[in-house]
Amino acid sequence: PTIHTAANLDSVLGKSSGVLRDIVINASPSEVPLSLLVLHGLVCEQYKVLSTVHVHSSVQNVPSKLWNCLGEGNHCRSRREYELGFTLVWKDVHKPQMKFSIQSMCSIEGEGNVARFLFALLGRRYDAVTSTRIDNWVDVAIFQLKKGSSKEKAAVLRSLNSALCKNPWVVGVDLTLADVVLYCALRQAEIDGFPANVQRWVKSCENLACFNLALKLLK
Amino acid sequence: MTKGESGGVQEDQPQSKKAAKKLQKEAEKAAKKAEKQAKLASENQAGDEEDFAKDRYGILPMIQSQEKLDRVLVHVKTLTEEKADQVVWLRSRVHTSRAKGKQCFLVLRQQQFNVQGLVAVGDHVSKQMVKFAANISKESIVDVEGIVRKVDQKIESCSQQDVELHIEKIYVISAAEPRLPLQLEDAMRPEAGDEEGRATVNQDTRLDNRIIDLRTMTSQSIFRLQAGVCQLFRETLIKKEFVEVQTPKIISAASEGGANVFTVSLSISQSMKYSLKFMFRAEDSNTHRHLTEFVGLDIEMAFNYHYHEVVTEIAGTLVQIFKGLRDRHQTEIQTVCKQYPCEPFKFLEPTLRLEFPEAVAMLKEAGVEMGDEEDLSTPNEKLLGRLVKEKYDTDFYILDKYPLAVRPFYTMPDPHDPKYSNSYDMFMRGEEILSGAQRIHDPQLLTDRALQLGIDIEKIKSYIDSFRYGAPPHAGGGIGLERVTMLYLGLHNIRQTSMFPRDPKRLTP
Repeated sequence: PTIHTAANLDSVLGKSSGVLRDIVINASPSEVPLSLLVLHGLVCEQYKVLSTVHVHSSVQNVPSKLWNCLGEGNHCRSRREYELGFTLVWKDVHKPQMKFSIQSMCSIEGEGNVARFLFALLGRRYDAVTSTRIDNWVDVAIFQLKKGSSKEKAAVLRSLNSALCKNPWVVGVDLTLADVVLYCALRQAEIDGFPANVQRWVKSCENLACFNLALKLLK
Repeated sequence: MTKGESGGVQEDQPQSKKAAKKLQKEAEKAAKKAEKQAKLASENQAGDEEDFAKDRYGILPMIQSQEKLDRVLVHVKTLTEEKADQVVWLRSRVHTSRAKGKQCFLVLRQQQFNVQGLVAVGDHVSKQMVKFAANISKESIVDVEGIVRKVDQKIESCSQQDVELHIEKIYVISAAEPRLPLQLEDAMRPEAGDEEGRATVNQDTRLDNRIIDLRTMTSQSIFRLQAGVCQLFRETLIKKEFVEVQTPKIISAASEGGANVFTVSLSISQSMKYSLKFMFRAEDSNTHRHLTEFVGLDIEMAFNYHYHEVVTEIAGTLVQIFKGLRDRHQTEIQTVCKQYPCEPFKFLEPTLRLEFPEAVAMLKEAGVEMGDEEDLSTPNEKLLGRLVKEKYDTDFYILDKYPLAVRPFYTMPDPHDPKYSNSYDMFMRGEEILSGAQRIHDPQLLTDRALQLGIDIEKIKSYIDSFRYGAPPHAGGGIGLERVTMLYLGLHNIRQTSMFPRDPKRLTP
């Protein structure tokens, strides 16, 4: 059901003004939005991204691994040579938030919603059913797996296991946003012992390069 | 006649009744007055006779260093609960005094701290002493001995809220004239207080009486914070092994732009230098952010391969200053905030760096019409500051890669796009505080650029010659101390952060 299109920022974001399009993400260092870091890796595979990490004056003593959580960027080139800016700011915020085009967009709140936006940059299109299922899994991951009770978590684990018995990935035969967000939520929920299918899926996630930096942070 | 007389009598009678009453009242009044006077006289007499406290107060002869007293004067700021029930001496100003019957309340001020003092009739204090204390003019300097006492209810109007001073001796060291050209209370009132219809003091009156205006807690805090900026600037750069240099301010020819600043410093050595100095600007600009004489903090630094090495260094220094102010001068920031409310200064570490075309794109998106190589106007700078704040939530950022056309001749062109240059401005709260660039260190290119801009080569000969015998690539920038203080505190006028401001219209005090 996946419809691949030629990835092109102009087709996703509309006309270009010819300068760096900078995505600003504010996140609290006490609650690292792991999925956004994985998505950053995915976006970097497709576009020339200028990644920078800043610490806002509202927070102090940010651990050093968060200062370079986007990897050792090579910033020798001029900003205008990049297609996309990814500016991560460690800041005192309740929820992760994203600011992009301040004239036409309000700031986007919540890890799940920011994740949806970042994944959409990849330009993958899905039919209505698939995209709704992906959206649903994102909600499940954020609200039930991350913030739910142990009972809710167990229920998610069961349904995840059964979803993974038919397919290599959560939704269909390709990696989708659902895999990224579910994987990160699962690792941050500190659950011991996964069912067989989930275990296999966790391994295949960790084999992907884009998960590397996030994995480093977990250690 | 009779009629008239009788009429007169008739008319007279009620009048005389009234008059009688009036007379009686007057008599009563007079009697009371006399009684009061007699009482007062007798009191005074009695007082004169039996003022048991006459050695405990008075006006001291002028201190001409007659004697070395073995007396410890404590600072008002040290008067806390820990000192309760101790006898202390202190020297302070009389901020206000309020007499009420047998007691007199004084607010004693020392720098930006004050404490409530109380002179009350008792074993050590006589009525005459209370009267004397109440009559000391505001702003007089007094030496006071008293006992520190804890108070039940916090004294909201003072910086030392938990204690008051029960005064047992009070001597005037230096009396102030009874009439002050402006009231400190008025000069310290928040601007928002206008609704109450109470007086505030306008900027010019303040500046005309700067000596008194500098005594307000707000001014005291502003200049302590400003000293902090200088100290942090030095500390940071010394740690980075910069060398402080002094350069002459008098030069032969009026060279273009800021070139005069660098003429001398570059030929001395080739490493990293900084300098704090007075700078002069002869423009006739009467704005809230221009002075004709100000303190410049200049940094000039040789780099290895890319001028961003310098940009990072300068921005890092400023961030260290902001952090230092936040951590060391919170009291001062809070004090200024009381009179001039303002959001805390926000910044990112490392500092946000945008490039000029990005800024133009942001402004265009916000509906501003401007050319790609046009310089930013002041309103556009401010708007850009707001846009950057909205997106990045920072009050401090760097704008890099200015169009070559709007920068001085010694600015290094951008190697990739000759329309642009290796120059940058830094902004605080949407106002420029630093303008810097990679300087051309090649005498040939320098001459070419000067010629292109129609500058008389003869006049800048010594500047160009200083690069003939090997000059390293270098960049730098200058910061205005007053502007940094003003914008960090979110004040609206640069004259507030200059102790004795100089502008095209002001040479005194």
